[in-house]
Amino acid sequence: MTLRLMQGSEAVADAAILAGCRFFAGYPMLPFTELLEQMSRKLPTAGGVCINAETEIEAVNMALGAAATGARSATGSCGQGIALMQEAVAECALNELPVVFFNMARGQQDYFQCTRGGGWGDYRTITLAPKDIPEAVEHTQLLFHLADQYRTPVILLGDYVIAHTHVGVDVQRREYGPLPAKEWALDGSMSGTGQAREIWTWARGKPNTPGPGPNVHWQDLAEKYRAIDAAEARWEADVPEGTEVVVVSFGTTAAFVDYVVEDLRAEGVPIGSFRPVTLWPFPGEALAEATAGCRRILVYELNAGQMVDDVRIHAADRRAIRSIGGVSQDSSGMRQGDLLDADVLRTRIMQAIEEGD
Amino acid sequence: MSVRRGEREVLFTGVGGQGIQICSRTLATAATDEGRYAMLSARYAGGMRGGMTNAEVTVGIAPLRALPVASSAWSAFAMSAEHWETIRPRLRPSAVIVFNSSLMEAPGGVDDAQPFGVPASDMAAELGNPMTASFVLLGGFAALTGIVTIAGLVAAMRRLIPAYRTEHLAANEMAIVAGADAVPELAAPAWSAAETAGSGAEPAGSPVEPVRQA
Amino acid sequence: MPTIVPTSAPPVVPSQQVAEAAPSLMQSQEHELCPGCGHPVAWRLVLECMEELDIAARSIIIVGHGCYTQMMRLSDLDSLQCLHGRAPAVGTGVKRMLPDAAVFTLQGDGDMVSEGLAEVLHAAARGERITSLLFNNGVFGDTGGHMTASTVLGQRTKTSLEGREPGAHGYPVDVSRLLAQLDGAAYVARGAVNTPGMIARTKRMIHRAMELQLAGAGFTFVEVLTMCPTGWFVPTPGGPQYLEDSMMATYGIGELKTPD
Repeated sequence: MTLRLMQGSEAVADAAILAGCRFFAGYPMLPFTELLEQMSRKLPTAGGVCINAETEIEAVNMALGAAATGARSATGSCGQGIALMQEAVAECALNELPVVFFNMARGQQDYFQCTRGGGWGDYRTITLAPKDIPEAVEHTQLLFHLADQYRTPVILLGDYVIAHTHVGVDVQRREYGPLPAKEWALDGSMSGTGQAREIWTWARGKPNTPGPGPNVHWQDLAEKYRAIDAAEARWEADVPEGTEVVVVSFGTTAAFVDYVVEDLRAEGVPIGSFRPVTLWPFPGEALAEATAGCRRILVYELNAGQMVDDVRIHAADRRAIRSIGGVSQDSSGMRQGDLLDADVLRTRIMQAIEEGD
Repeated sequence: MSVRRGEREVLFTGVGGQGIQICSRTLATAATDEGRYAMLSARYAGGMRGGMTNAEVTVGIAPLRALPVASSAWSAFAMSAEHWETIRPRLRPSAVIVFNSSLMEAPGGVDDAQPFGVPASDMAAELGNPMTASFVLLGGFAALTGIVTIAGLVAAMRRLIPAYRTEHLAANEMAIVAGADAVPELAAPAWSAAETAGSGAEPAGSPVEPVRQA
Repeated sequence: MPTIVPTSAPPVVPSQQVAEAAPSLMQSQEHELCPGCGHPVAWRLVLECMEELDIAARSIIIVGHGCYTQMMRLSDLDSLQCLHGRAPAVGTGVKRMLPDAAVFTLQGDGDMVSEGLAEVLHAAARGERITSLLFNNGVFGDTGGHMTASTVLGQRTKTSLEGREPGAHGYPVDVSRLLAQLDGAAYVARGAVNTPGMIARTKRMIHRAMELQLAGAGFTFVEVLTMCPTGWFVPTPGGPQYLEDSMMATYGIGELKTPD
């Protein structure tokens, strides 16, 4: 394994290209901008197209169009820009178009935006939240596979730290198995044959090939997302026998939890950690199982309390649950602030343990 | 907070334009190219010149447990004193402090600190390339600590300088070497004998294996 | 040069009522549009041009939201229905991935000139090699007859009941004129379908736009003024004349930009 010092944005770009991404469009917005710069530099050499779109809305709709032709297509922004794209996210879902969204979030962990979404209708976005750059490289490739496998938009939730930190990485291609051909993709070849293809959220079809219509189509989609929910949850649990306190976190904050938990455990504190790797599907059953024997769950997320809702849904009946994170911005407004700190986290954990239920 | 054995943190501070970003990146690149594990985080204000510019590099002999925000650090690299206070509280007792004595006195507020002043700005001016001052200090830092080799530093610098600035390669190299020559070699070694033996030994206290769903 | 038709024998091609000569690229003609609607007339011209240029087998259409969306459903063309206003952006993604396809976007004036002005201007500025079509009847027909950015002064709609008046509602936007100023736009033309003469002239514009897309000349655009007697509160047979008096009088007909 040969390590090369790379910025997270560059590593993610390389991973996307290795995964076969051939279309990327974006609008500059920190801390997503470097990913756009890297794709602009590298994608054409790989035979792809990268467009610096004039607006986020145009970027996502370009990506949607590219996906409709069967190409592996992606876009992204930070949470603010993703907010602008929400209608198109829903459109991708209801059209069953695979598009990968890179959310390089600013200081706030936008869990709700990824898991509850802001588009209309009933859809979900498979969301992976890497805790460090090597995992972001793996998740990027997995997301292109899952998007195609399930014909759905998907999200990589990164942040300033993942985008801007440099670390020694070895970006290698990963294989996830064969996928069916994209018979549904548009290329004009069925035009004039009497069997022309149609991609439409209302799925009415054409006179020769009638579709199920919106009611049945959207019920079918709801069923598809239920199936994904049952099959694709991923998590990491470090809860040895005798654990009394479990800290739940995701993304970059989870790296801080790992660090502090290791120290505290070495000092004899009966503490463990649980990390949803997919934010959706949320690994609720695994969380409930992992924390079955413990007395207290502490949720460390840098927002006003979002994932804690899902923790409560799945583990509230038995255990005391407490948020130990909070809103934290640094002075630039681009990244997390002082709460992203191992000492602060340690203090809050010990305080929560001392204060009891 | 426990100390991760086998990992060394360097906190950089200066003022925009003094070369903090290129030097921290050069150090991290050199460490990676020499087979070590490195992480680099940078924090800088909006302006290209004159604002606060900090960076942190962590180098390790094994895959890093370190976080992108280091709670405590083994050393400091200071080009000027303006923003010293943003890194001082995180330096551990006996921290190695390598500073640009042309622009600042030995900074205080760290117990049992090991300060090493290098007149980097003056030396760079004498060499005819005032802009290479930070590379002078970087050469000094590397020679004092042995955190990376001088040859490795030079090679990394050559790779990182953009194509449109190659006229600076020779001057930067001169600065690195001059800085290295100006300090007592390995006066504050980064690595212990066991660590430099290159056995790749795991740091003491192995972490619990996490359970991971495929 | 006049063609001399031989009359010594019956014609080879049997005669046929015009209404029966449906373009083969329609799977059905069972549309639900109002009597007097200009959209089907305009769309037919598009399909005829595709057949004449023999490009159906690589044609993809991207259609916005409006009464004309039905044209997509009835057409035997690989189709994508997209978000209101976004068709030129979607078309960009399609064409960049399939440079040899013939890519067409179809929008109404509400879709393009109200919601999607940025998209079409930017696609034209970038010189995207797609053909964007605007069926402009100066009103949001599908929602029941509301004002769009194209609605002409004096036009009565449900959101301008006394007629559009500058003080209250501002002025209409001439999107063809805006597009003609952009270097990336290779061909910009405005036609109409209210008279046979206009229909023939508009068909030539559509034909030219398609040819230029295939030649890789850049962004091509045809705006077609169409009748909407329902949305205009005008009796059905009065549609064509009303179009001439209101929309043609405001916007004018012709090629606003050509490559030469």
